[in-house]
Amino acid sequence: MAPRSLWNGTVMLGLMAVPVKVHTATESKTVRFHEVHLKDGSRIQHRRFCTQEDVEVPYEEVVKGYELSSGEHVILEKDELKAAAGDRAHVIEIEDCVCADDIDPVFFDKTYHLGAGDEGGQAYRLLHDALEKTQRAAIGRFTFHDREYVVAIRALDGVLALHTLRFADEIVDGRKLDVSLPRKKPGRKELQLAQRLVETLHGPFKPERHRDEYRKAVLKAIEAKAKGKEIEAPDEEEPEAPDDLLAALEASL
Amino acid sequence: MPRALWSGTLSFGLVNVPVRLHSAVRDHDLHFHQLHEKDGARIETRRFCEKEDAEVPWEEIGHGYERKDGTLVVLTDEELAAVAPRRTRTIEIGAFVDVADIDPILYDHPYFLVPAGEAEGVRRAYKLLVEVMRDRDQAALGRFVLRTKEHLVAVRVRDGLLSLTTMRFHDEVRPTKGIDTGGRKPPKKQLDQAVKLVEALSTDWDPERYEDRYRKRLQQVVRRKRQGKTIKPPEKETAPEPASDLMEALERSLAEVRGERSGVAAD
Repeated sequence: MAPRSLWNGTVMLGLMAVPVKVHTATESKTVRFHEVHLKDGSRIQHRRFCTQEDVEVPYEEVVKGYELSSGEHVILEKDELKAAAGDRAHVIEIEDCVCADDIDPVFFDKTYHLGAGDEGGQAYRLLHDALEKTQRAAIGRFTFHDREYVVAIRALDGVLALHTLRFADEIVDGRKLDVSLPRKKPGRKELQLAQRLVETLHGPFKPERHRDEYRKAVLKAIEAKAKGKEIEAPDEEEPEAPDDLLAALEASL
Repeated sequence: MPRALWSGTLSFGLVNVPVRLHSAVRDHDLHFHQLHEKDGARIETRRFCEKEDAEVPWEEIGHGYERKDGTLVVLTDEELAAVAPRRTRTIEIGAFVDVADIDPILYDHPYFLVPAGEAEGVRRAYKLLVEVMRDRDQAALGRFVLRTKEHLVAVRVRDGLLSLTTMRFHDEVRPTKGIDTGGRKPPKKQLDQAVKLVEALSTDWDPERYEDRYRKRLQQVVRRKRQGKTIKPPEKETAPEPASDLMEALERSLAEVRGERSGVAAD
């Protein structure tokens, strides 16, 4: 069964329209809890209250306010907020194509899968194959939930993936952080030992080998509690900073 | 420098480097408050017990997990804390991999790790890690616990510092099964033409080229509203028609792009 789509629209490569559907590509598997009243085990509800009148306020009476430095609020209606989304709600126009590997990992935010839209099978295949062959990512704008994102579209495992990207001014420049490192380069012997240690530990990346152990521990604790067992905290031990870098490296090897 | 989000030890073999964690991302979003339309007063959220219909103080709230059979298991803060993984203050590097092998779909949030404290030994150990990883496109894999969640992380060098990126676990990426991948393999002529078009649109990756137009427009909406002007919602766009002749659409696009881009170059 085809997964549900979150967005239907068109990718424009020049004058070639590629109808697409957007699907989620990632899902958090962090164990989710509900808020519960400890006394009687019943669910907690969140209710909105007016801080002035001290009465509950229905959702229809809630508006969004942007606070000015004077403390006053500029109130925006839901429709007015939509105006900022721009007028290309269902079209992603490809502005540029770039080498997919040139985009630093720091820019990648969320990922979605793109599927072919109605009557778009041939164009979808063509876009996919062209991006795969050239190893390029197509850069465009994507309007989702009344907000515009810059996205990179590329071929991934036989489908098209769409990544929302962070903007350049959202990325912190490490060179501007106040960190003073020793000018002197590490000693040759230290560097060699460290390099050998890196080589010993180097191997292919197998994502399926890394499992979420915390998720497992939480689920185990839940089952233990369900059986009426007590949950105990493990002991902690903290490592100490090395006095002798060289000796620590040698011992590691 | 802003306050650190976490501090602990990066441990590489038997070399332990005390480090602090800072976000590598800045938030420029415009944030809004919820207000009561009638009087403009701030809205606050209060927690109520569904059964008693009474407000519940924070200390009386636990974490309820619904099991598959519908039964609810409730954990207290203390019980949940007890499950927190061992050695919550250490990032242990277990392996080194090529950065190119990590698909960007796995990346979540980027941070910087900076050396903690002024001690010369700490700074030297930190610098050693930077030097050894700098010129190889490799990332160190490790795990660490931020707040209550354990993350798989990739540590590599960026801007001369160690950068740490949290990653999604493998099973948090959805399979692509069921996604409509379109028609048959395109004919060679069509693919050649599409490749030419992609190449004609190609440029070097320069993140500065793309500004956050949404943020700008939202600031403008706020400004206009403040001045008492009306704000028009965006016009409804018409959906582009799928091309009946792909080859023709590609050829026309190519002619157009080549015309535009050569025009730019001649300026």
